[in-house]
Amino acid sequence: MLFYLSTIYAIWLREIKRSFRDSGQLTGAFIRPMLWVMIFGIGLTPYFSGGISESTFVVPFTYSQFILPAVAVLNVMYAAVQSGVSLIWDREFGFFREVFASPAPRVAVFLGKLLGGATIATLQGMLVLILAPAADVPVSWRQGMLATLALFGLAIVFSAFAIVIASRMSSFQGFGVFSNALILPLYFLSSSVFPLDPSLSVEQQILIFPPWMVFAVRVNPITYIVDMLRGIMIDYHQFAPYLGSYVLLGLCAVLIPWAYREFQRRS
Amino acid sequence: MLALDVQNLSYHYQGGVQALKQVSFSVEEGSFFALLGPNGAGKSTLAHILANLLAAQEGEALVAGHSVKRAPIRVRKSLGLVFQEPSLDDRLTVWENLDFHARLYQVGRGKGAKIRGVLELVELEKWSHALVRSLSRGMKRRVEIARAMLHEPKILMLDEPTVGLDVSSRNKLWDYLKGLQSQGVTLFLTTHYIEEAEGAHQVVIINEGEKVAEGTPHELKNLIGGDSLRLKVIPEGLEALQAYLASKVEKVQLEGEMLHIRVGNAEKFLAEMMPQYGDKVTWVEVERPTLEQVFINLAGKRIADSHADGREQLLNFAKAGGEHTR
Repeated sequence: MLFYLSTIYAIWLREIKRSFRDSGQLTGAFIRPMLWVMIFGIGLTPYFSGGISESTFVVPFTYSQFILPAVAVLNVMYAAVQSGVSLIWDREFGFFREVFASPAPRVAVFLGKLLGGATIATLQGMLVLILAPAADVPVSWRQGMLATLALFGLAIVFSAFAIVIASRMSSFQGFGVFSNALILPLYFLSSSVFPLDPSLSVEQQILIFPPWMVFAVRVNPITYIVDMLRGIMIDYHQFAPYLGSYVLLGLCAVLIPWAYREFQRRS
Repeated sequence: MLALDVQNLSYHYQGGVQALKQVSFSVEEGSFFALLGPNGAGKSTLAHILANLLAAQEGEALVAGHSVKRAPIRVRKSLGLVFQEPSLDDRLTVWENLDFHARLYQVGRGKGAKIRGVLELVELEKWSHALVRSLSRGMKRRVEIARAMLHEPKILMLDEPTVGLDVSSRNKLWDYLKGLQSQGVTLFLTTHYIEEAEGAHQVVIINEGEKVAEGTPHELKNLIGGDSLRLKVIPEGLEALQAYLASKVEKVQLEGEMLHIRVGNAEKFLAEMMPQYGDKVTWVEVERPTLEQVFINLAGKRIADSHADGREQLLNFAKAGGEHTR
């Protein structure tokens, strides 16, 4: 048992040390929220709080306030996928050969990798929380803790997902394109950059927006996570508040075992 | 006791390429064993099977008496591994890499002292807090050897450890390895450099997945008929010497002014011959057979580099700084 914990700790510690020594990754994590909050936030606020002219619905927030929780989610997704890339590298050329040839149990190696990736992703998400006062979103300690918990759940889910993808790819030549093609649609279709008017029923939404978009937003799990985070941070949500945590737990239950299976298959 | 016992090992990759065909050999504890063959002969495949990174479809291998199939954890603990490709984390320091290894191999008590010990062994104490990426290739290899010895394995297995190193780093590496071997560690080396196998106690030559020869370097060289000896003789003594040589060896060839024979051991032969015929000989040339010649004789080709395979190409892409590679 102690050996399992020691292995998990060793792998986890390595992930953390590596990411802190990678200044490029940290710069990205810092610049991404700045772009969204400062440029989009400031630029879109006048259009946003005035309401959409034909809609009956006005969001009582500035755009910066509205977008901030979603940007935290975006940061988490990028960081988690980054840890997937490092898995491909480690597996194909070098470092994980040392790990896989050692007596360390596979499940502990897997958990160390998952927790390491998730920790880094959570920290990058929390970076956005630190920016929150600048976007006029006061975050109390209690809100901060709840938000961190939610981000950590998302980070676990996405790190597991990244392990699945990384285990199914033998090269990283296409990984950059692939990850953007995955993260950005998930993000844009999560009602993160614009809300689907919640005062309307699904039938009414379909009249205003194209049906495929309404459908995509509703099946996208990120929608409920962004919504949950908004509930925590700015007390605004379109869906029942507990829905997000159910979605997270459900995704964990599916993705973690799946990721472990893929991880073991390729090691 | 046997350090390694390989029995009828066969391995084929998915898609049917057979990398190993019924390979058997054994290695004495405390000896220096070399597995010699060209690139693609199956050396790395065999090393990976012994290190439990691949599972052989047929046959059995015992490492320090433990079955690779039935007692993988014990096998892993008794092996120290140095892989063909660098496997250090280059964003961690030397110390951090060793500390990581110590955790994975449960080197509990006295970890710090042991890490210092192996660093002294390869003379890198002063570099323990340097980032690995700042080290030269030769130094990285030394760190890998230090790391492989950290959990005090019985067998040190090195897969082409000197590829890409300059001559002085190579020599230094050999000094360390010989030092370890004299302390009782079994050395298992795969190589396509003939010189490196010359110093081994036992050599197995493989080609296209099959064992083609086995023995001490001396025995293998005898396979091609021993040393080649050429003598230049003054015209007056030619006949007498020819008669003498014909009485000692089967075949005497006259090549211009030179007499050419093959003998088991040229020194012994000359020590016997020179007191009697020394005044008639003006020139002596001895050529020792090399393992290279042995290999050419057995496989009908030289041990030469083959072209880069897909993985190597990908590695080169990554090294060139391809997108999202880190």
